[in-house]
Parts: sequence; structure tokens; C-alpha cells
Amino acid sequence: MAEATLKTVPLDKARVMQWLQTYGVYAGVALLLVVNIAITPHFLSAENFRTQAVQVAPVIIVALGMALVIGTEGVDLSVGAVMALAASVTALYLGYGLLPALLVVAVFAAVVGLANGALVAFVGVQPIVATLALMVGGRGVALVLLPQLEDLRNPSLASLGSGDVLGIPYLILIATVLALLVAFVVRRTTFGRQLLAIGDSRPAAELAGLPVRRVLILVYVGCALLAAVAGVLATARLQASDPTSLGNLMELSAITAVVVGGTPLTGGRVNIAGTVAGAVLIQLLTATLIKHDLPPSWTQIAQAIVIVAAVYAARGRGKR
Amino acid sequence: MQRSTHRSHLLARPVVVALAAAVALTASSCAKSEDDAADGKKSPSAAADAGQKVVTPKPGSKTCTIDAYGGEKLDLKGATVGFSQSEKEANPFRIAETQSIKDEAAERGVKLLTANAQSQFSKQISDVQTLLAKGVDLLVIAPLNSDGWDPVLQAAAAKKVPIVTIDRKINATACKDYVSFIASDFVEQGRRAADQMIEATGGKGEVAILLGSAGNNVTTERTKGFKERVAEKAPDLKVVFEQTGDFTREKGQQVTEQLIQSKPGIKGVYAENDEMGLGAVAALKGAGKKAGDVKIITVDGTRNAVQGVVDGWISGVIESNPRFGPLAFQTLDTFTQGKEVAQDIVIQDSAYSADNAEQDLGKAY
Amino acid sequence: MAPPAEVLAVRGLSKSFPGVRALDDVDLTLHPGEVHALIGENGAGKSTLIKLLTGVYRPDAGDIVFQGRTVSFGTPLEAQKAGISTIYQEVNLIPLLSVARNLFLGREPRNRFGLLDSARMNREAEEALREYGVRVDVRRPLRTLGVGAQQMVALARAVASEARIVIMDEPTSSLEPREVETLFSVIRRLRDEGIAVVYVSHRLDELYAVCDTVTVLRDGRRVHHGRLAELDRLSLVSTMLGRELGEVRQEGLTKFTGDHHATDSRPVLEAVGLTVPHKLNEVSVSIRPGEVVGLGGLLGSGRTETAKAISGALATSSGRVTVAGVPLRGGSTPAAIRAGISLLPEDRKSEGIVPGLSVRENISLAVLPRLSRFGLVSEARVDSIVDTFIERLRIKASSPQQKVGELSGGNQQKVLLARWLAMNPKVLLLDEPTRGIDVGAKAEVQKLVDELAADGLGVLLISSDLEELIEGSDRVVVLKDGAVVGELTGDEVTEDKLMRTIAGHAPEKDAVEEAASDG
Repeated sequence: MAEATLKTVPLDKARVMQWLQTYGVYAGVALLLVVNIAITPHFLSAENFRTQAVQVAPVIIVALGMALVIGTEGVDLSVGAVMALAASVTALYLGYGLLPALLVVAVFAAVVGLANGALVAFVGVQPIVATLALMVGGRGVALVLLPQLEDLRNPSLASLGSGDVLGIPYLILIATVLALLVAFVVRRTTFGRQLLAIGDSRPAAELAGLPVRRVLILVYVGCALLAAVAGVLATARLQASDPTSLGNLMELSAITAVVVGGTPLTGGRVNIAGTVAGAVLIQLLTATLIKHDLPPSWTQIAQAIVIVAAVYAARGRGKR
Repeated sequence: MQRSTHRSHLLARPVVVALAAAVALTASSCAKSEDDAADGKKSPSAAADAGQKVVTPKPGSKTCTIDAYGGEKLDLKGATVGFSQSEKEANPFRIAETQSIKDEAAERGVKLLTANAQSQFSKQISDVQTLLAKGVDLLVIAPLNSDGWDPVLQAAAAKKVPIVTIDRKINATACKDYVSFIASDFVEQGRRAADQMIEATGGKGEVAILLGSAGNNVTTERTKGFKERVAEKAPDLKVVFEQTGDFTREKGQQVTEQLIQSKPGIKGVYAENDEMGLGAVAALKGAGKKAGDVKIITVDGTRNAVQGVVDGWISGVIESNPRFGPLAFQTLDTFTQGKEVAQDIVIQDSAYSADNAEQDLGKAY
Repeated sequence: MAPPAEVLAVRGLSKSFPGVRALDDVDLTLHPGEVHALIGENGAGKSTLIKLLTGVYRPDAGDIVFQGRTVSFGTPLEAQKAGISTIYQEVNLIPLLSVARNLFLGREPRNRFGLLDSARMNREAEEALREYGVRVDVRRPLRTLGVGAQQMVALARAVASEARIVIMDEPTSSLEPREVETLFSVIRRLRDEGIAVVYVSHRLDELYAVCDTVTVLRDGRRVHHGRLAELDRLSLVSTMLGRELGEVRQEGLTKFTGDHHATDSRPVLEAVGLTVPHKLNEVSVSIRPGEVVGLGGLLGSGRTETAKAISGALATSSGRVTVAGVPLRGGSTPAAIRAGISLLPEDRKSEGIVPGLSVRENISLAVLPRLSRFGLVSEARVDSIVDTFIERLRIKASSPQQKVGELSGGNQQKVLLARWLAMNPKVLLLDEPTRGIDVGAKAEVQKLVDELAADGLGVLLISSDLEELIEGSDRVVVLKDGAVVGELTGDEVTEDKLMRTIAGHAPEKDAVEEAASDG
């Protein structure tokens, strides 16, 4: 991968940019893997890859929903709050058993998604403003429901968080299935195509008779449900419901993964494989810096550099 | 356009109603958490040990009297005391702190007015002003910020209301703008954590620190004390890893997972609060380690962490005592009687180790 | 009285954009107290000229002499400070600030401490606005005012900032008749104060009511200037459209054959009394199967709005649409599409194509639900439809996967036609179907429209290209200021008749006298 970059460099700049936009994120992941294998002790072990995958799984799940929303030229800032809400609702209803608790979580998430979608599709509030309202309000509700961290000892929940099938943790399996499902929805369903058309040109989509509002609402509901899944999984892994801190800044991690993965913020395009790779890239970057015990501020700086690079590479494509 | 706005109202309302209904649903007690069926586990006030708070005056520390401060003597019994809490009582520390103030006030038969600023500094300022307007004779403040207190201090000075601040300091002149400051010594907590770590590891090997949030004085002071003491007493104990866990369990878990993979030989983890320490425990469990494989020392003294000591996963917990009530009221009592009190009062923190954790579990908050 | 010295003299102004010569060697002279009509059809260069005058664009060639000095404004703000104010259709003030703040923005009265003197500002604002017939609480945010009142505030602001020239770009497009009257009295006051006004509008009545002089632009050139009173309405319309009166029309300039098979059967589309506030007033149109009905009229006469109202894209306050006898729920595009109405919008780039999606996805966009089962797209059926239409409409793309944004205008238009034909519509509403596409593609589209009509579709054709409209249509319904002013059928469908109808005349002559009495 690194060699491929070198070969393209002598060619004209536009093509390099185009290449970076499409494959840069994979090249970045490959580069980090190579560097880590070379310099990080104990990196090349199944245990390590498992850890990285488990840690990134919730981010990937949230980023999938975020990618859909960004595909409609929107953004959802409330995903972190939905995770917190999912955490507190799980704790509150776990007494009935895991499944009923999950159903109630889904109801709460769907309500948040509906509110986001309705504000965007019917009231015409800008997505960033509409979801900001739910970002603040959602976490508020989460903290009202459960004001402080609570330990959970439900065995089914615990096994959801740390169990595995043939050595592959449930978290990784769930994230993989959801990624495939979302990719399928985007590529093969009417809904997916309509979503892209709306994101690319909403006036044209409206005049073509597409159910613009319905699609928008479904997208925000889907995003909230995915965030809720991530919230439940993170809670299961922690074996504690922590609405005060769970999902903090998750919206930014998810947006970063989506953008780094080559999905333009201008809508009309959704790159699911890239989004997954974007999340993995940030995870590996963070892991590298932590493993080498570099100051935490370095992590933030490195993330910023990756984002700037991604946006720079996307710039050329934005003008069509 | 007309049409869409019209519809939007029709739709916006059901959404709001639905949201409210969803919240109400939970509130209406059809929620059922795990603990509803099991024990009512938390009863911090009942567990509180009233005999524990002992002042340790620093030798040569400055003192304050009511004459120097410029107030009038009064009898604490029958006085009204105002208490301004900074953050919502959403974590064990704040819960125990407020409870301790309330319990002590009840014990001494003092009328107590309380307010909570919900982490908004402007609210705390107006809270205190409201308390003053309600005619409190004395004030206990747990400040959210150190700066920006001038208007309140002036108002209090005008009414000659003595102020005691707890757990965080106000940037102002002691014995002029306020009487005393009561808090834990975070550097000392770090030192004591180091002592426990040295004991647990035998003073040899590599250890890691899970730092608190960056730019927080608690983080810096707990780190400083720990490193100083390790350097001084056990030069063979090396701090090889310092990463932030932001005082949360989740980050503590994630960072520890990275740590034990890249440095499998790590002997100990010093977590600067209990939550990160519990996260570290979760990481160790997830990695298939056994209790005691890696020594964990934490600071705070919450019930969950002390339980961890009982279970053997945590080697030691240094307490950061939230029970300011007795000390605060004792200070106010002494002061209003005209006797002298110290300007900086350090609350005594206890510690939990395998030796006392089980019997002292009830003291944890 | 000798005419006062000119306040503005524009000489030989030219401006090109990639592929277009937007303005070509245009002169314009304004005297103090002159109300000057600037007219022309779409793309004539009006807005380019205005933007050059106000510093939005820099000219490629030519001089702007303002108050005796050659000027070159870098920004609209510079132009405004120098004394050229512009009032756009959309009010360009700050909606959340108070009326008074807007009025005094950038030159607020200060007290002796250099602070804002609100009391004085509000008092002066109230006085100033009263002169414009606006009596409001000036402390309210601007957005709480009606559009007309907002426009008055903009106007008052322009005058108060000592403008020498006020440019009004379709100022009446959203005003009530009463507000239009107030506007006119304000314009007359400006004239008395020696301020020059450039008035852009498509409403002939207004022009004759308030303007002294006129400049007509066409295709970027000045084709006429002079006193408005000396130019009767019919000549004005023909100058604007570039048609000589009585000119012998050449047949066969377009690919239309003209012989459709309009049957006497019941109309496939009946729109009755469509009304949209400020835009349409009781417009009725009916189309029979196999018939091409043209919508004639000037820019801003309500043609596009009529098409949008029929297709549900524009909500009507009254009126009804029936398709093949079945009434349609108004204001819903999906409902109209289900009933068989398809609209090819005027603004192809922003309302028609979805530029980032492929040809294949653009063609299948509307018909997709019909090609899906349980929300899953049948790729085979999509391919078959897409291939059929690419072949039938001779769409030139490197592959069905090519992005539509990369195609030529003509091929984009064909993709849109394909999108609608895939829906098997009963009625096609074509809004400027051949604008901005090359000659070859234009001919193909025209031929296609003929074929579709021959197949029994009802077609509504909107075109600023008179030849296309006349030759393509069986009947022409003529609109003016949002209302139907006439209908041409059979032999009446000629450019002459059309222009006379637009100008608001009986088909006979005597235009000059009438126009003169108007002025």
C-alpha cells in the first residue's frame, strides 16, 4: 500500500487526491499496522487485535448511523446522549430481564430519533441545531433517570459484553453484522437510493416525488437505534451503567470516522467500508500513542492531523 | 411553505408529548432495576462514622479569630447556616458530602438552608446571594470555581456573615474574605498511595498511573505526591506508563486493556480515582488475569472500590474524605465562640487495605 | 429646463463568464431624478449589469462614471458607501435586529460617550418610516414585519444613507397592491429629491406607471433605449423578445411538425382557478390527450408557477386539478405523480438532476418503488428500463454508471425525460425543456415531444423561445402578471398575436396612442 502511494506521486496532483480520498484511509490503516508490528512490543497477537476490535466496535456502530445521516447532508450530534440514555434505561429496566430492557431502550431511542427527524424534516430546523437540542436534552433525561453510575450484575448482559463465539467476541460479531446490513441497505434498497438522492439534491428529490420526509425521519430513527445498540454494548462491556460519562464526545468520534472514511459532509454519498476503516484508523492511532505512553495531548493532535488530511483530500471531490 | 409550517405544528406537538410520556412512563415506577429486588444497598448516612474527623493542624499554620475577622459572637445553636453545594449530588462524593453537612446540622440542632448550583457557576453565585438574603448567619460553601467570588464575598462582608469553604479553595484572603478552608491534602493522598503501592509490590518492578482529567489540580497533586514518594522510598519501582482515564470507568478500562497488552510485565496500577481503578479491574478480568496479579491502588474510598479490596482485586484504597460536616460545624462553633481556628484545615483521610477493608466497608461512601 | 448633468454614465460595459458573453458593450446613462426601466428576458444581462454597477463583479471592459468620476467598486459595500444602493427581491437586511437598528446599521447615532443612543435612534427611525407609510414599533425585530414593510425599511435605509442611485430589482414581486401604491409614491418622492432610480420589473403596467426612460437588453446587448412614453407596449414586448412585428414567419425553424392528433375527447388535465398569493390569480388550463398546450407570457408572468402548482410542488390557496376526471389532492408532489403528472422543472441543475448519482440511478429514481419488492431493488428490472430509455432517447453517456453531473445539458434533459417516461405519465409539464442545450439536442427533444403527444400524452409546454412555443403548440394560453389574459387557438397561434396579447392589446393596432395616454 505504501509503495502504491509512492508510485502515484509523480502523477498529477488531482489523481493523487482522488486516490487518497478513496483509498487513503485503508493506506493509513495499513501503515499503522506495519509501523506497530515493527516497533510495538507484543502487538502481533490475537489478544491485541481482539482488544482493538472490541474497543472500536461501539464507535463503528455509532459511525454507521452517522454515515447515513451525513449521507442526507445532515449530522446527528445526539448519538452520545442516546448512548447515555440507553445506558440508564438498561439499568432501570434490567429487573425485568435483558430482552424487555432492550425493548424499552429501543423505544426511547426511537423517540429521540423521531424527534430529531421531525425537527429536520417537518419543522425544517437545521440538523446541527435540531440534534444539538436532543444532545443536551437526551443526556439530561438520562441523568434524571439514573443520576450516577450503577453496577450491573445481570449475567446475560455480562455475557453480551464479554462473551464470544469461537473466540470472536459478540461485540465484534454484532458490529460486523450491522456494518454489512447498513451497507446492504445503502446499496440495494429503495430507501438507500432515495437517501442518497435526498442528500445530493433535496429539491430534485422532492420534485421527483420521493417521500423525502419519511426517509429523513427513518434515517434519524435508524441512527438513534444504532447509537442505542452501541450504548447497550458499551454498558455490557463495562458491566455498569454510567450515563454521566458514557458516550461523551462520541458524536465527534463518529463524525471523524465517517469523514476520514471518505464520506463527504455535503451528502449524496455514503461509504460504509471507509467509515469502518476510518474508525479503525483512529482506534489504531490512539492505541499506538497509548502503548508508547505518549502524552494524551499527542493523541488529540494526531487525530486533528488525520481529520485535516481527510478533509483536504475530500476537497477536490467536493466540487463537481 | 405555508402548508409545511402548518403541518409542522401538528407533528411537533405529538413528538413533544411522546417524549414527555416516555419520561413519565419511567418516572411512574414501572421501572425495575436489578437492585429493586435485591438489597437497598446504599445508606451512606447510616454508615457514616461520626468519630472519624480529626483535625491535623499543620505546625505553625495561620489562625483566625472573630476579632481579627470582624464579626460578632453568636451561639451556633439557634443560628441559621447556609450551605451551597457546587455539583448535583450525582456521584458518591457529593452525595456523602451534602449528607454529612445535613446530618451534622440535624445533630447540633442548627437550622440549615441548602442550595445546589448544578455545576453552573452563575447559579452558585446567585444561590449564595439568595441564602444571604434569606438571612443566614453563617455560610458553608463547596465552591465550583476558585475565582469570581468577589460580589458574594462583599455581600457577605456587608452582613458580617462568616464563610467556611470546603473541598475547593476560593482565591481570596483568609480571615478577611473568608474564615477557613477545609479540605483533603491531595499531595498527601498521592504519597500515601505510593506507600501502599510500595508495600504491595515490594518496591520493585514497573507500575502505571491512570491519570485523572488533564488540567485538574486533583490530578496534578495526586500525581506529584505519588511520584515524589516513589522516588524517595523505592527507586527500584519505575513508573513506565502515564495515560489519562479522565476519571471515568470506561476510559480506565480501555487504557488498561492497552497497557496490559503492550506491557504484560506490569506489576501495579495507580488509579487516581476509584472509577478508573474499577475500570482497570474490569480490564484485568477481561484479559483473564486473576485477582492480585496486578496490584491496583486507588484514591477516593467509594463503596465499590472498598468492596474490590475485600474481593482481592484492589490492593489498597486511600480515602478522600467527603464528610466535612462535623469539621465544618466544629470550626464554625469554635470561631463564633471567639476562639481561634486554623485558616487551612486538613481533613483526615483514612485508608483501606486487605487488613481493614472488610470491617470498615461500612465507612465507605 | 436644461437636463441636469448625468449622475451615472456607463460606457461599453462587457462581462463574460465561461462559455457565455453575459454583457456585451452596453451603455447606460442616468440623470438625477430619472426613473429608468431596465428590462429584458431571462439571460438578457440585467442582473449582470446590476452586479457590475454594485461591485459584485468586475467588468472585463468598459467604464463606469459615477458623479463625474470613473469608479471601480470592489464590493457592494463600497458601492453603497459611494451612493449606489440596491434593493433586491429578497430583502437583504438582518431579520433578528430591530427595525431601527436595521435602518441605522453602520451609522448608528452615538451619544457623547460614544455609545449607542437608542432613544434617539428609535425616535428618528419612527419619523423616517412614517414618511414611507410604515407605522410600526421600530423596536420589534425586522422579521416580524410583512415583506412589503421590510422592503420599505430597506428603501428608507437606502435613501437615508444618501444614495444617489437606487436600484430596485423586482421590488413588487411580493407586495400587495396597496403596498405597490406606497412604493410608487416613494419612488416619485425620490425622483423629486433628484435621486435616480433603476427599476427592474416584468410588469408592464408598473413600468408605464412609474418610469420615464427605458433600456431594453437582449442576449447581453442593449437593443433599445429612450423615453418609455415613446415606446408602446407592443413594441416593447417585441423588442424584448427580439421579434419584428408582422415579420413573415419562417416555417420549419424547429423540429416540431405541428400536426398533433388532439382529439375531442375529455381533457386529460383540467386545472381550474389556481391561485397562489402574489403569484397566480385564478389560472385555468386544460389539456386533452395528444395535445400540446403552450404557456405564453413574459418572464415572471406565472408560467413556471402554473406548472409547479399543477404538479403539487407549489401549494395553492384555491383552485383544483383533475387528471382524467379524478380530482387531485393539492400540494403533494407524490400524489400528482401517482395521478400521472410529470414535471420537467425549469431549473434543471438544481431541481432536476441529482448530479452526484449515476445516469442509471437518475433515470430510475422516481420509478424505483415500482421496481422493488419489500423495499429491495430488482437490479435486473432497473437495468432493463434504463437500457430501454438510454436507447430510445439516444442518451449519450460513457456508461449507465456515469454521473449525470458530468453529462451535457441536452443529455441531462433526456435523462430527466427518461425518468418521467418510465413512470408512464398521462400529462407532461415541460418547463423550458430546451433552454441551455445545444442545437442538435434541442431538435431531438422537440421531436421527442411531438412523438409523445402523438402517442396520446397531454403536454404543457413552457418556452421563452417563441419559435418553439408557436410551432410546438396546438394552443397557447397567455399569462400576464399571474393571470390568464388570452388564449390563441388554430390560426391565431402566431408570434404577432402572442405579442399583442402579452402587451395587453386587442389584436388590432392603435397601440401608440394608448401607451401615450398611459404615461
